[in-house]
Amino acid sequence: MAYSEKVIEHYENPRNVGVLDKEDPSVGTGLVGAPACGDVMRLQIRVNDAGVIEDAKFKTFGCGSAIASSSLATEWIKGKSIDEAATVKNSQIAEELNLPPVKIHCSVLAEDAIKSAIEDYKKKRAARLSLEKGPE
Amino acid sequence: MSDPFEILGLEPRFKLDLGALEARHRELSRALHPDRYAGGGAAERRQALSRAIEVNDALRVLKDPVRRAQALLARSGLSLEEGREPQAAPAFLMDVLELREELSVAGRAKDGAAVRRLGESIAARESQVLEALALGLAPLEGRDTAPTEPGALRGVSEKLGELRFFQRLLSEVRAIEDELL
Repeated sequence: MAYSEKVIEHYENPRNVGVLDKEDPSVGTGLVGAPACGDVMRLQIRVNDAGVIEDAKFKTFGCGSAIASSSLATEWIKGKSIDEAATVKNSQIAEELNLPPVKIHCSVLAEDAIKSAIEDYKKKRAARLSLEKGPE
Repeated sequence: MSDPFEILGLEPRFKLDLGALEARHRELSRALHPDRYAGGGAAERRQALSRAIEVNDALRVLKDPVRRAQALLARSGLSLEEGREPQAAPAFLMDVLELREELSVAGRAKDGAAVRRLGESIAARESQVLEALALGLAPLEGRDTAPTEPGALRGVSEKLGELRFFQRLLSEVRAIEDELL
């Protein structure tokens, strides 16, 4: 099966590969896997006080489509608010990369990774806020 | 899907003797060989051919532990829909990510011994998952299984997911080993 040009481009020059400190309170980490193909994707965001994603990094073990999907996802969510980022849909990723039907699950994985990173960040922030407020 | 255990005339079990499976397949393939039907009518030849294809498909299904487990589930009217498996536990995914990272480091360093060690430890974990699956699927084995309660199979789909991750890791190990040869 042939990969689309955009997939190959992201695969050969992945954007934002790397790791952020997952202990950092401003960092949210999403870790998702696709049992059907054994792919694993880690996507991390650094969020500023205004709720804007300042940085995003990913590390994906999987096929070209999975790598391209996560690379594109980090590119898209950088500079967006977490609420905007949460609206990124797998169908948009699949369309941008011209993913064939058998590779749609790669874009689903990327959407799940974004959501899981945002959730992790929100959970951390809620814990921090309740800590700062102190005991009632 | 037709029942591969029935097609090969084998007792439905997760822990299959692969040698016996291959032997049974050979035996049936010989009996269904086109040469034996050369003198027969067209309908008879066609039937033997389609049986031979069924037998080959059944072998492929039963050789793969994931598909074998699915076949056991399907016999009991249970199915795990593709792509609807539960999400693996974060700690497990972290392990997989780390194993793959170590594997790619060892591969880049052309450290064959380290790749082999990783392969062995992944294979050991895969066997643990296979044991757990055999235990989880035991209620579905045998020719006349009583309908099982859904609770009895809890954990099977999660273990099947883990098995796939390990299979994937092991094929990565083999690919790296081939490169280092």
